[in-house]
Amino acid sequence: MFDPYFLQQLAIGVSLGMIYALMAIGFTLIFGVLNVVNFAHGEVYTIGAFAGLMAITAFAPPLLVVLFIALAAGAFAGFGLERLAFRPFRRFSDEASLKSRAMREATLMSSLAMSIIAREAMELIFGSQFQSVDLAYLINKPIEIGPITIVNGDLIILGITLLMLAGLQWLLKKSPIGMSIRAVSNNALGAKYCGINTDRTIIFTFIIGSGMGALAGILVGLYYGAIFPAMGFTPGIKAFVAMVMGGLSSIPGAVVSAMILGLAESISTSFMPSVWSDMVAYAFLLATLIFFPQGLFGARRERV
Amino acid sequence: MSKPLLIKLLLLVIVFAVVPLALEGFGKGYYYQIATLAFVFMLLAASLHLVTGVAGLLHLGHASLYGVGAYVAALLGSKYGIGFTIGLPLAGLGAAFVAFLVALPTMRLMSIYFAVATLGIGQMLFLVFQNWVGLTNGPNGVMLFDGIDLFGVAINSELGIYYVVAAVSAVSILILNRLSHSYYGNALRSLREDDQCTAAMGINVTVMKIQAFVISAFFAGIAGALWAYTTGYISPNDFNFSQSILILTMVVVGGLGSLPGVLIGALLLILLPEVLRYFGDIRNIIVGLLMFGAILFLPKGLFGEVNALNFARRLLGSAWSEDNSEKGIGWK
Repeated sequence: MFDPYFLQQLAIGVSLGMIYALMAIGFTLIFGVLNVVNFAHGEVYTIGAFAGLMAITAFAPPLLVVLFIALAAGAFAGFGLERLAFRPFRRFSDEASLKSRAMREATLMSSLAMSIIAREAMELIFGSQFQSVDLAYLINKPIEIGPITIVNGDLIILGITLLMLAGLQWLLKKSPIGMSIRAVSNNALGAKYCGINTDRTIIFTFIIGSGMGALAGILVGLYYGAIFPAMGFTPGIKAFVAMVMGGLSSIPGAVVSAMILGLAESISTSFMPSVWSDMVAYAFLLATLIFFPQGLFGARRERV
Repeated sequence: MSKPLLIKLLLLVIVFAVVPLALEGFGKGYYYQIATLAFVFMLLAASLHLVTGVAGLLHLGHASLYGVGAYVAALLGSKYGIGFTIGLPLAGLGAAFVAFLVALPTMRLMSIYFAVATLGIGQMLFLVFQNWVGLTNGPNGVMLFDGIDLFGVAINSELGIYYVVAAVSAVSILILNRLSHSYYGNALRSLREDDQCTAAMGINVTVMKIQAFVISAFFAGIAGALWAYTTGYISPNDFNFSQSILILTMVVVGGLGSLPGVLIGALLLILLPEVLRYFGDIRNIIVGLLMFGAILFLPKGLFGEVNALNFARRLLGSAWSEDNSEKGIGWK
């Protein structure tokens, strides 16, 4: 009924969408809690990929351990990022400065500065070329299912992302720290008055979000077998688009939008040259902004 | 001689006499390139200042409009033989036209949504530069062999090119300065602070925003044409997202809403990497650290808006306080 090539593109699209979703969750969690965009998220993704690569070249652990190392590196990077780029700008916690534009712009720029520093430092250490990954670790071994061929990476990415999403859902709905994250993102000042340690909550948000971003980085690195310091930029923008399409602070919205983006991008390659496929994401972004200014899944928000 | 006049004269002397003399003294083309680069980026930062600093619209795709100007100038020059004299304004108009098309749907978007929309449009234009091989020559870029040809006079010497670039950017920056320190600029500042209140006062907010956006794009296009003509070669990577961010950094480090601050910021961010060449590979890290330090310790920028407004009032105010007509214009 379907063209095998089309089904194959669909499989790639699902993997792509899952990767964007993992990144978009980090963006969304941090935006929800702090109301600012974290521009260094793409660099966290790169740090995850490089941490995994270093682990592989140093002592060749099993794949699961590599993923855990990337996760830990991302969590650590998120922690450092919060301390360096976001904490200094939260000196004042009254309502006016929480909502002030100047403060939001300052955090935006400081995370941007951090991303420049991180990227340049990685370029200095590793060089700007592609790093080759040990072939045994690549997750692109073909699996034939009927007429279509997918790679085991598609299944691994699908499995890990579903696991992470389920874990996140449990964390946010059931665990104390998740509930405090939801409380802070709903109303930071109110949460503070109720005795929630907002500072600690924000740090945990960064750790969780950045860990997921770093995991996406190492998965992509092993899927395509290419790891380089500037690799975080394009997925970062796509995840950002997914966040906006999802309505800025809705996690299910961001995940669904990320899947839409990934699928649209891979399917579009059947109709046009693949160099134009990035255009699809931006077209989606503009269409969303113009026709659904609140995002596809967002509730009405206060004007910010 | 009054003090404001002295400052203006001093600036003119520095730009048109001291710097060229120093450049001639060094006698290397490399220093001329840096000077040209500094002027192009000062103009870009000043044009972004009108949108982001004065009108308060966070614009993350300025480099792509600059790219439109550069491509218009370069393609007109290399394919149709239209020279600098006509190509320069056409580049500005081309960029302004694209900005107008962009502005129509996006101008009703609020703060962060507008920022995201400009980011998306910037990336789309970048993809067009890179992938529409038939028009833009794709990643190979466009070569522009003609030199600057001003009203039929070919200008070939490095000094001559310097003077053309300096004059064009100085005039453009002067226009932007007068715009941002006029009633028009004040209206833009008021809509930055509270657009609903401004609309209630009878100012058409959307039209004002579109005008500011288009004017800024016009000057970005002019900067693009200057860049295309002075380097003779443009490629899509000159106009990517990191260039937009670089221009935004200049505006923020210099001071949002302050034109002198923005010019200082642009000079700093262009000259600093060159001064730091001695440090070799870590110079970009130092630039990042400086940006971070500036945001952390100088949140209002190097030369904040309040200082800039006081400065502008002293410069412009002397003329206005001499105005004895009944109406009375401007601030005292």
